[in-house]
Amino acid sequence: MQAAGTGGLVRRTAWRLRLVFLFAMLAALPYLLSYSQQEIAVLLVINVLLVCSYRLLTLTGEWSLGHVVIMGVGAYASALLAKQFGVPVPLSMLLGGCMAAATAALLSFPLFRMKGFYFLIGSFAAGEIIRLIWKRFTDPFGGPKGLKRIDPFPDIEASFLSVDFYEPVNYYFLALAVVSVSLFVLYRIERSRIGLTFHAIHWQDRLAESVGVDTFRYRTLAFVIASFFAGIAGGLYAHYVGAVNPTRFSVDQMVYVLVWAIVGGTATFHGPILGVVVLTVINEIVLRALGLDTARPLIYGAILILSVLYLPNGLESLGPRLQARWRRWRGGPAAAGREPA
Amino acid sequence: MLRKSLDRKISRRKFLGTTAASGTALAAMGSGLSRVAFADNHTIKIGFLAPLTGPVSAWGKPGLDGCLIWADWVNAKGGVNIGGQSYSIEFVGYDNEYDAAKARTGATKLIKEDGVKFIMMLGGDTWPGVEKIAEREGMLFSTLLPSDLSPDSTTLVAPCEVHPIYNVTGVEWLAENKPDLKTAVMCAQDDALGKPSVATYLAAFEAAGIEMQDEPLFFDPTTTDFAPVMTKLLAGNPDILCLDTCYADYVHPLCEQAFQQGYKGQIISCTADFYQKIIEKTSVEFMEGFIFQFPDFDDPALNSEGVNFVNPNEFYAEYAKRYGASQWGAVSWEYASIMDLWADAASRAGSAEPAAVLEAMKAGGTGKHAFGTADWWGTELFGIDNALVGDWPVVVIEGGKATIKDFKSIPAWWDKHKDLMIKHMTALGQMWNQRG
Repeated sequence: MQAAGTGGLVRRTAWRLRLVFLFAMLAALPYLLSYSQQEIAVLLVINVLLVCSYRLLTLTGEWSLGHVVIMGVGAYASALLAKQFGVPVPLSMLLGGCMAAATAALLSFPLFRMKGFYFLIGSFAAGEIIRLIWKRFTDPFGGPKGLKRIDPFPDIEASFLSVDFYEPVNYYFLALAVVSVSLFVLYRIERSRIGLTFHAIHWQDRLAESVGVDTFRYRTLAFVIASFFAGIAGGLYAHYVGAVNPTRFSVDQMVYVLVWAIVGGTATFHGPILGVVVLTVINEIVLRALGLDTARPLIYGAILILSVLYLPNGLESLGPRLQARWRRWRGGPAAAGREPA
Repeated sequence: MLRKSLDRKISRRKFLGTTAASGTALAAMGSGLSRVAFADNHTIKIGFLAPLTGPVSAWGKPGLDGCLIWADWVNAKGGVNIGGQSYSIEFVGYDNEYDAAKARTGATKLIKEDGVKFIMMLGGDTWPGVEKIAEREGMLFSTLLPSDLSPDSTTLVAPCEVHPIYNVTGVEWLAENKPDLKTAVMCAQDDALGKPSVATYLAAFEAAGIEMQDEPLFFDPTTTDFAPVMTKLLAGNPDILCLDTCYADYVHPLCEQAFQQGYKGQIISCTADFYQKIIEKTSVEFMEGFIFQFPDFDDPALNSEGVNFVNPNEFYAEYAKRYGASQWGAVSWEYASIMDLWADAASRAGSAEPAAVLEAMKAGGTGKHAFGTADWWGTELFGIDNALVGDWPVVVIEGGKATIKDFKSIPAWWDKHKDLMIKHMTALGQMWNQRG
């Protein structure tokens, strides 16, 4: 009993140390980057929230093609509230998330009559309807050209502190704070009884129903929570870039989210984060720095094919595989048998 | 057990540490390389911020290719003389993938890390991401899409292509030369590029007495199957099929569909990029008489006295030699022609600083446009006189080859029909004060 208690304490301490180390790295990161790479880091942090919120939805077993459009709902709502109604930007971002969640709640009635592939197609159709509404109604959505000159996040001007959120390094820390809190909430949800129910619905939905779980309500809940955070990501994007348009939230962009999730893996919380970070660093920093701008789609595609061929369980499986190899190297053939598939 | 557990933690930590270190190293490598790119004091860097990959790359990549020829020629002659000193020109490209956020990143890199003095863009969806940077940094930008212009963007100019206003010249020539064609249909992708062009064609058709059979058909930019689009367009057997300002990825399948569905009427389009490939997919006969707005620069008509583009025929030959004639597109010469204007202005200003070049560029209210002397214009349409407008060529495919049939004056058309243009632009919400 005491040994188990000691083991738990060691694990918790190690986990906390790792977290401190991670935050220290994230705090130092922008100072190691060039100005334009800081810009990329801002968008990367926003995309981390997008892909992690998407993963929450996938916990119930449903893959949507409308998640980027839902992000757009948050972006448009936040932009319009700030631009046309003078709502303070931090509040408009929060309301943008709420609008995205409300849209998801509304869409869940037709969409969760479907499952699997049909849900996928249904979510695509629902997303396209929303995009067409943005295009059709120039007032207030700006039509195909969208909205521009969106109010930026307000600068902080005090006697002891001056923060200009136009500067990417400042916006990076703002986004990092918002995304960290969001990820913590998402993590806690997944680890809670609700999260376990999401998993149960994914793997044994009939069995879950037989013990009294209302699968429709839980699927809706996952969809609404995921959409809220996607909407927050949309708000962060809109007030940083200063412009949104329907093309930015097209299915092409959705494919990137799918790729990040698939290449990273969705079995663990950190899988999609690994996917978006590794692929963004390769695509936006490494290949550009090597002067391979026009060859990027080709190389990016090759990397995707190779990762699917050699890492079918995603980048998240790389760690355990390396560990198993390390154990085999240290412990001989007996340990080798424990290598994961 | 405890030992194994600790071993696992150490190796995990090592793994995470290695990953983080790799990421940091890669990032450092990136920033290091961008710093290495700084050149000596006798080189001026020019930014090229356009889509070099993706569906809109046909209006970016060929332009960069053309600029590289322009730089080689200018540098071979000793460079650009600015304030008594010769400067060689170096282009720094950044692929914005036609995305506003990436355009923002690219603009900051070009300005703050590469130290460029001027940035050329395609514009459109990407400009709103850059607008604030242009304002803050005072950087001079050019766009090919003057619908980006507004009184707020004082450092943005449209010195070459005044899209889509020049499309009126094609319709005007069509009406003069084929007066029996009286009905038209039109399709366009539903985006920031398609809509103002539709308004322009509607005004031009109305001015020419050509009746629209149906409302313009807007299709989504993600469309890949153009059979139903074309079936609907051709249902009323129109005299004229107008393809508006569709991207090359749409013009090609649309033409293919028109051919397969047996259309034999007149086609008019803003562009026909890589038209040889369309001919390969259809036939020389089908494409005969196809009207568009962008000449091949081996056309003898470009050697006429009024044309300011330097050595157009030689430029085309060099382009064909380096990249292949089939790679010649609407923008292959345009960014290079903007550089002619920039170099001339910088020489006159005696400085490459953006504000000085802009002032010199607009001095006197006229400028040397590629196709002749033109006026700085646009207050009524864009809210600011930052578009250089003059004559524009009308190009027709004859015997499988693009041929300039005429140069027509955009200002002359505007003076006669500006009310129609403003009416249709307003109806589609495309006036500068209606946007976003």
